[in-house]
Amino acid sequence: MSNRRSKAAFAATSVVLAIAVAACGSSSSKGGSTAPTSSGVAPTTANGGTGNVAAAFNAGTKGVVNASTKTGGTLNYLATADFDSLDPARTYYAYSIDFQRYFSRTLMAYDAKPGVAGTKAVPDLATGPGQVSNGGKTITYTLKDGIKFQDGTPITSKDVKYGIERDFAQDVLPGGPTYNMDMLDEGQKYPGPYKDKDPNHLGLKSVQTPDDKTIVFNLASPYSDWDYIMTLPTAAPVEAKVDLDPATGGAKYASHVVSSGPYMIQSYQPNKSLVLVKNPNWDQSTDTIRHQLVDKVTVTMGLDSDDMDKRLLSGQGDIEIESTGVQSTAQTSILRDPKLKANADAPLTGFTRFFALNQNVPELSNVDCRKAIEYAANKVDLQTARGGPIGGGDIATTVAPPTLPGYQSFNDYPSGADNTGDLAQAKAELAKCGQPNGFHTNIATTNKGKGPKVATALQAALARVGIKADIQQFDSSNYYSTTIGTPSNVKSKDLGIQVVGWGADFPTGYGYFSAIADGRKILQAGGNSNWAEVNDPAINAALDDMTQTTDQSKKDADVQTIDKALMAGAYYLPFTYDKALTYRNPRLTNVYVTGAAGMYDFVSIGTDDGK
Amino acid sequence: MITFLIRRVIQAVTVLLAVSLITFGVFFLVPKMSGSDPAALFAGKLTNPEALNGIRIKLGLNHPILQQYWDYIGGFFHARHFDDGPDKTLCNWPCFGYSFKTDLPVSHLIADRFPVTLSLAIGAPIIWLTVGVTVGRISALRPRSLSDRVSMTLALAAVSLPVYFTAAVLRLFVVYNWHWLDDITYVGFTHNPWLWAKNLILPWISLATLYAASYARFTRASMLEVLGEDYIRTARAKGLPERTVINRHAMRPVATLIVTLFGMDVGALMGGAILTESVFGLPGLGKLGYDAIAQHDLTIIMGVTILATFFIVVANIVVDMLYAVIDPRVRIS
Amino acid sequence: MTTLPGDASALHEDFGEGAPEPGTPAAKAIEGRSLTQIAWTRLKRDKVAMTAGGIVLFMSLLGLCASFIAPHLGGGISLPHSTLIDGDTTLPTGTAGGMSSQHWLGVDPTFGRDLAARIVKGAQWSLLISFGATFLTVVLGMCAGLLAGYFGGWVDGLVNWLMAVFLAFPVLLFGIALVSGMPTHAFGLNYLWLHVVLLILIIGGFGWAYFGRIVRGQVLTLREKEFVDASRSLGSGELRIVFREILPNLVAPTLVFISLQIPTNILAEAAFSFLGVGIPLPEPSWGGMLNDALNTYQYDPAYLFIPGLAIFVTVLAFNLFGDGVRDAFDPKAGR
Repeated sequence: MSNRRSKAAFAATSVVLAIAVAACGSSSSKGGSTAPTSSGVAPTTANGGTGNVAAAFNAGTKGVVNASTKTGGTLNYLATADFDSLDPARTYYAYSIDFQRYFSRTLMAYDAKPGVAGTKAVPDLATGPGQVSNGGKTITYTLKDGIKFQDGTPITSKDVKYGIERDFAQDVLPGGPTYNMDMLDEGQKYPGPYKDKDPNHLGLKSVQTPDDKTIVFNLASPYSDWDYIMTLPTAAPVEAKVDLDPATGGAKYASHVVSSGPYMIQSYQPNKSLVLVKNPNWDQSTDTIRHQLVDKVTVTMGLDSDDMDKRLLSGQGDIEIESTGVQSTAQTSILRDPKLKANADAPLTGFTRFFALNQNVPELSNVDCRKAIEYAANKVDLQTARGGPIGGGDIATTVAPPTLPGYQSFNDYPSGADNTGDLAQAKAELAKCGQPNGFHTNIATTNKGKGPKVATALQAALARVGIKADIQQFDSSNYYSTTIGTPSNVKSKDLGIQVVGWGADFPTGYGYFSAIADGRKILQAGGNSNWAEVNDPAINAALDDMTQTTDQSKKDADVQTIDKALMAGAYYLPFTYDKALTYRNPRLTNVYVTGAAGMYDFVSIGTDDGK
Repeated sequence: MITFLIRRVIQAVTVLLAVSLITFGVFFLVPKMSGSDPAALFAGKLTNPEALNGIRIKLGLNHPILQQYWDYIGGFFHARHFDDGPDKTLCNWPCFGYSFKTDLPVSHLIADRFPVTLSLAIGAPIIWLTVGVTVGRISALRPRSLSDRVSMTLALAAVSLPVYFTAAVLRLFVVYNWHWLDDITYVGFTHNPWLWAKNLILPWISLATLYAASYARFTRASMLEVLGEDYIRTARAKGLPERTVINRHAMRPVATLIVTLFGMDVGALMGGAILTESVFGLPGLGKLGYDAIAQHDLTIIMGVTILATFFIVVANIVVDMLYAVIDPRVRIS
Repeated sequence: MTTLPGDASALHEDFGEGAPEPGTPAAKAIEGRSLTQIAWTRLKRDKVAMTAGGIVLFMSLLGLCASFIAPHLGGGISLPHSTLIDGDTTLPTGTAGGMSSQHWLGVDPTFGRDLAARIVKGAQWSLLISFGATFLTVVLGMCAGLLAGYFGGWVDGLVNWLMAVFLAFPVLLFGIALVSGMPTHAFGLNYLWLHVVLLILIIGGFGWAYFGRIVRGQVLTLREKEFVDASRSLGSGELRIVFREILPNLVAPTLVFISLQIPTNILAEAAFSFLGVGIPLPEPSWGGMLNDALNTYQYDPAYLFIPGLAIFVTVLAFNLFGDGVRDAFDPKAGR
């Protein structure tokens, strides 16, 4: 699960991956009611909708805006920085993975539909979902006919296996999700294809390719979300002969990616520009998800954020590909001008912003002390610090975001009628934990972006009940990997409260909670995402259940078990369900927010003016 | 003269080496002190120790620090081979190494950004030199007149403004409120000279304001001092036209002062104007260095720092040479 | 960007001015007045400089007492007022960034904290750091200049080379790297004070070369003067000569340098804070506020102008006062 998907360390609103679905199914929404419940916070309805809608504010979250089959034209994406990598094995940013849909097909992929339907993994290179056998430990896929790379070579199961093997060469190709390596190594210590002794470089034992159309995965234990793992670009097929050629492969493959999708790379100038053109060897009859509408796709990178906003609003660009939202000046312009506002969307990105309350730090070891923090927090100020209800997000009371299947709204720590905090209750909790006059702790945050603002807001809120919190700022480049990702560092620096944001890599409960709530996954050496160091047997059991069962209602129940346990233990203090104020150029067609990524589904977009 | 030049060049080289060694040492040690690992930077989210070690070898981080420094400096004299680890690459002279974060050759990054910095370093100095010296000169020739008081007050005010404040205010009025100019992006000179200049006007003015004011004050003070000297009185007594007195006799010592300052200022500017580039979002060397620092990307930091120092040192030599030309007394010593 | 003080040796000739009228009480107590006293008299007559001096004094006192004053202004530096902020745009409601009788300078965006309080607190840091850095520069530069100028030879050569090295450093770049690379706690100081100390060390530490050159120049001239020879022939040791003869004559250029270096250092500290490596958030600093203002200045220009003007007025006052000090010591520079 990726957490800090922020491209430019400064902008810090992270990108998300996945999730969706619905609130439509779950509890609160009856046609999107916004009446406050007894918890005091209006339940949030997730991005939803199907069908075509007219252009208006937030229309992109409700359905397909400007639906059309018109072809032709060039799409102009704008970015402040380069992709983390174009190499499908190395990319982890949500918008980059969304962009890979143009040229990296996978066994399974998300359907190109808004709302609930868009979070389903449907077959892409495979003829159907994985066939499960052997008690859930063996999963078999059959490849479609007629699928080819951009150079005309047919795509075989061996290409898929090779692509997956590349994920093991972390010394050459670091940066991407490591699910394949984590789950398919099974003790072999496979060294990656470059050091593979097998003559065909297909030495990974857990993956078998009995023929060119069949691929079999043998897992050590059942994993019902495997179809979702197969949607990630890390499972995209790669031609071994291209990758093993020292001129085009290995670390250089990012500049020589061979396409399996409707578009291929024509030119790439790192940090400057990327141009995609149509792939003549892509066959529409093999692809139920994508189309070739536009003639060309360009990405202009390295722009200054405010400059980028100006270009976007003036129509010189079509979409800000990083999808982290416009800057505050553009936000004000959009919100004050009804014409601009009609072209803007504020989708839920699938991220929840919260504080981790680490129980291994002495002053927070008592749950009542942590509850005092929950009650004293001023959620309105925190929301404003993030950018307000439109630029920042909705006030959060649960760890699970509304876009996660299984989400239900509840609020264990009502913050008063106006959501500015329940000081009386906070003081009562302080008395219960033996610190009636408060205590001292530290808030850890990155040193740029909205983190320091959020920390400042909490500091002021806690000061009202005598909790004195000092703000400790850290460099964002290693904030998640080292600073708060190493439990010993957290303890030695007394980082009781940590500013974090979290979104899942794929839209399932396990995908969301495993890294942040599994007590057996507290990584001591670094990169730990269980920041609160929760180790609750009930939560661990629910996590295990989620991977075994294929029953969606059981999975939903497990989500609730975990979420409620996390909140009851006051391990996390959620404050916003992240939103990003984005803008779509009115000439664009088929624009909708995909539940899978919390941003526009790039591959579906066309133009109606043919330019 | 030649010995003078040789001596200065040798000194310059030692200075460069000293600065580069200190910079390397500091930038190498400081991340260690703060607990961040350059290998982890390259790896992103990864924390697998074997993989991290592989990256460390690839980046040459497993060698002792002096060895790394030696290898790095060697890159300026000959091509370097990077063949530890799984990739083999040849880095042509001059080799500035590869960015830790993006693996792009630093020399390309620098070459990319340099035109922007150069544009700033050419345009602004021309403006501030002409404006500053002219204003200072006029003031000195009419001391305590109204124009003198007004221009000196304005000059003092301009010197008291932070350059990024001036830049922001200019941008606020000229671009946003009065719409005289479109918003600033950098357009290459070879691309479109007119747009290049149009976009750079505001950055030039922001930078030049500060320096012009300073130069005006210097020129005035220096000229007044010179004009009080005996030899000026002699020149006037000899009946020389005022024009000659001022331009040939008075301006000489003033020129030496201005040349010294100008050389140092332009030299410093060639290393990147971080503050101005930040406000206007210009992708120059200053911004490159600043971003690299935020990322602990040692190779880029080294490259930018050494380049900046190089310019300062070269500027100093040029200035000393010019000084010797203008002031004969220097040649003898 | 400091101006070069006039040649201090010329000041020795200025004894004639201001001699008391015969017959007045002062005439009875004729004593040679020291250079500093002469300069002080001249300074007092310079109205502009004295006004500027008043502002300097005011700002210095403000900075000194900031911790006591700030909490009483509109709620203090940390108290947020979310009612004064528009939720959607996170900008202050009302005109001119929310100026009102409770908030004389308005409030800041996002949080609605009183701006006057934050400006006052910012003054404390700006002045503390610039005074500290100036002091450090003077001490280091004085030592270096004395050593180089007085002893000459290889000492001079070495000091000169060191000066060249320090002058060649891209200070801003280096300073940024040093500060941003530091751990959050070191040497027993917390995040805030660690930064304060670092800034003083960096800003002050890199300026010594410039002042050192000035001192060296002065010492070179002075050591050839007759009174030094005289002192030596009377049997004074080297050290005594340095302290008795040379140092007092350095007072003038030092005072001038100080009064002009402080505003330079204020601008330097503001630059560091602007780039995010100066005074750390949430502590207010003028440069930091300017950086923040860049996000919103199209719609909330007050938040840009107020800290900008604070810097401007302070630096201008110091500059004017410094000019006055310089003129007082060396009227030939002429006004």
